[in-house]
Amino acid sequence: MDISQTDEQKMLQDSVTRLLERSYDFEARQKLLASGQPWSPDTWQSLAEMGILGLPISEESGGFGGSMADIVSIAEPFGAHLLIEPFVSSILLGGQCLAHGEGPAAEAQLARILTGEQTAAFAHEEGRGTADPALVSLAASESDGGFTLNGEKRMVLGGAQADVLVVSARARGAAPAKDGLSVFMVDPDQKGVRIKPFVTIDGRHAAHITFDGVRIPAARRIVAEGYDVLEQVISKAIIALCAEAVGAMGALLRLTGEYASTRKQFGTPIAAFQTISHRLADMKIAYVKARSNLLYTTALKDAGHASPLDVSVLKGQIGTLGRQIGEAAIQTHGGVGMTDEISIGHFHKRILAINALFGDSEYHFRAVGQSLASS
Amino acid sequence: MTSQTKAELDAFRDEVAAFLDTAPTDAIREAGRKTTSAFPPFEQAVAWQVILNEKGWAAPDWPEEYGGTGWSGAQRTIFEEEYRKRDLPPLLPNSLKMVGPLLIDLGTEEQKAKYLPRILSGEDYWTQGYSEPNSGSDLASLKCSAVADGEDYIINGSKIWTTFAHKSNRMFMLVRTSAEGKKQQGITFLLLDRTDFPGMDIRPIRGLDGNAEFCEVFFDNVRVPQSGRVGAENEGWSVAKHLLKHERNGSSNSPVLVRYLQRITESAREEMSPFGGRLSDDPVFQRDLGALHADVTTLAHFERLIMGGHEMANDPALPSVAKTMTTELTQRVSLMMTRIAGLEGLSLQLDALTVGSGVDPMGSELDLIAMPFYLNSRATTIYAGTNEIQRDLIARSLQVA
Repeated sequence: MDISQTDEQKMLQDSVTRLLERSYDFEARQKLLASGQPWSPDTWQSLAEMGILGLPISEESGGFGGSMADIVSIAEPFGAHLLIEPFVSSILLGGQCLAHGEGPAAEAQLARILTGEQTAAFAHEEGRGTADPALVSLAASESDGGFTLNGEKRMVLGGAQADVLVVSARARGAAPAKDGLSVFMVDPDQKGVRIKPFVTIDGRHAAHITFDGVRIPAARRIVAEGYDVLEQVISKAIIALCAEAVGAMGALLRLTGEYASTRKQFGTPIAAFQTISHRLADMKIAYVKARSNLLYTTALKDAGHASPLDVSVLKGQIGTLGRQIGEAAIQTHGGVGMTDEISIGHFHKRILAINALFGDSEYHFRAVGQSLASS
Repeated sequence: MTSQTKAELDAFRDEVAAFLDTAPTDAIREAGRKTTSAFPPFEQAVAWQVILNEKGWAAPDWPEEYGGTGWSGAQRTIFEEEYRKRDLPPLLPNSLKMVGPLLIDLGTEEQKAKYLPRILSGEDYWTQGYSEPNSGSDLASLKCSAVADGEDYIINGSKIWTTFAHKSNRMFMLVRTSAEGKKQQGITFLLLDRTDFPGMDIRPIRGLDGNAEFCEVFFDNVRVPQSGRVGAENEGWSVAKHLLKHERNGSSNSPVLVRYLQRITESAREEMSPFGGRLSDDPVFQRDLGALHADVTTLAHFERLIMGGHEMANDPALPSVAKTMTTELTQRVSLMMTRIAGLEGLSLQLDALTVGSGVDPMGSELDLIAMPFYLNSRATTIYAGTNEIQRDLIARSLQVA
């Protein structure tokens, strides 16, 4: 099993980092957020030109067939720069589902996503993260050579901007059955699709979407039995999100160490106070734990040995350790840590959002314990 | 480091498993199941070391020329896994993991030839004389003095927390040879060939768990030869710091915690929840078990990355991070064990805990070890540099000039 970064991964990581240092410092990112744009088309295009958008997609689906370790190598700097571009939603979730999909429509759609000219959104969430696809209950009733969708999807990242919605739905049975789940390609302009857009605490554009008698031709059902596909797509996305969180945690650790070394009170840098220095030490310990877990789980994934339990261990740990680091960073920065004007709180909010997506740490810890206790 | 094929590693695993299935005596196995400390029951641990040494496996971490095994990281992991699966006792750490590696690095050829074979064979057990009643975390303030007299030193003072001093035959210690300059500068590192020199008195101290694991040692004009010095006079502090590296790096600690967690999980399937039903079905227990498993798994991942030579291993703060992480996790596992034992953990059962007593535990074996393990493991965050000291060191590495 490979546990160390390859030279290619280092180069990839360096080139992404250089791009972001050049065009995506905190000030530029805040300006982008204030502009009301959902993301920067220039940055998105640069990532497309660098081959980043096709990286996670298999070669037979028109991508570059990158490994999990490749994806983690770029996702860490994405997190460290608080990138808001729809890499996870359009590529790792929507795009990956399309790549697993059957039929020329999915293939053609994916090609337009990978060039960056269009985006996809993954309409899946139905409550509390919907980490277990078996809980999906949005109805897809089959009739007259097609399907009718009825129900609601929440927190669809990039949902109001997407050119195509990739929707998980139940064609048969009832939650929590693993059987009977399908994946559909839905045109957001179609009759019966109602989109309620909003912005999230971590600066992303998202939407709640209702499907009210939306007719879908059979050819736009891209996966018939979808549980395994959904599980695979989500587990990869979870690892990438965790890599983003680890990138954010590393930035928080560095910035807080610098701040505590330079900020003076009572005539001395506050890092000289043991309560402060021990909090810094705890942040470092949490970071080492989080990163070890990320890198080893990534290697397990690439070796084909990552079980759902391993992914749950990672997701649970990142949520908890990330929150610890973020809260400690805010506390150490004092009043200035409470302002939206510096990056600290933004990193924290990104970590909170990642924790809540696809099952929070409490959910994943219990899932781990449940599986251990019953086996 | 050599890398082996899967078939070679499988064959190695079979060899290890076959040996570990047959070599240990019943008393050694019993000692393993009743280990409640980083220090296993003394006599059985020594007996086990003798057997392992005959096989050439007593000190896998040592360089091959001194009796190490030359195993790859993968082989060491396999050995650890098979070892823990069978609940075998760890070997006593002081000689094999502390003074042995130190002598390999810094000892004279004469010292190496004299001491290393007897450390491996289990003939010698070395107790550590560092702390004093008034010098704990501030170790460099130590006062136990050694005054040169001809070829000898005359030692006066006392040492405390000397683990198993009452069972040891040798001692390595720090003494003050000069009061000049900074307090770190007048310290000398000494090897004592005996622990019964005239004027030496050893008092075992009963710990929270009811066992006398550590001792206080008094020195009243004790005459020892200067040839036992490691490094130069007054330069013992850097020798001690070197040794500390070995003590803090240790080897992998996760396999034993993984095994404890398995024992906890198995017991939870038998134990009742206070709400009725089985404890293993209780959602709160499941959540807590999952969180603990996640942390133990994280430690295992971390140790494998470090053993595999990941660049993370170059971080200067790493030994302190590892010590803090490992010890605090050990305490959490021990706490979970007492939670499983519940009321059954309250009965004092020192006789049943004694290997070879023939006294059966009143409840399960987990109930028997839970409370002594919990109480004993409070020491883990105090010894080898308190975790407060470790955090000071970690924080220092994060500060910018």
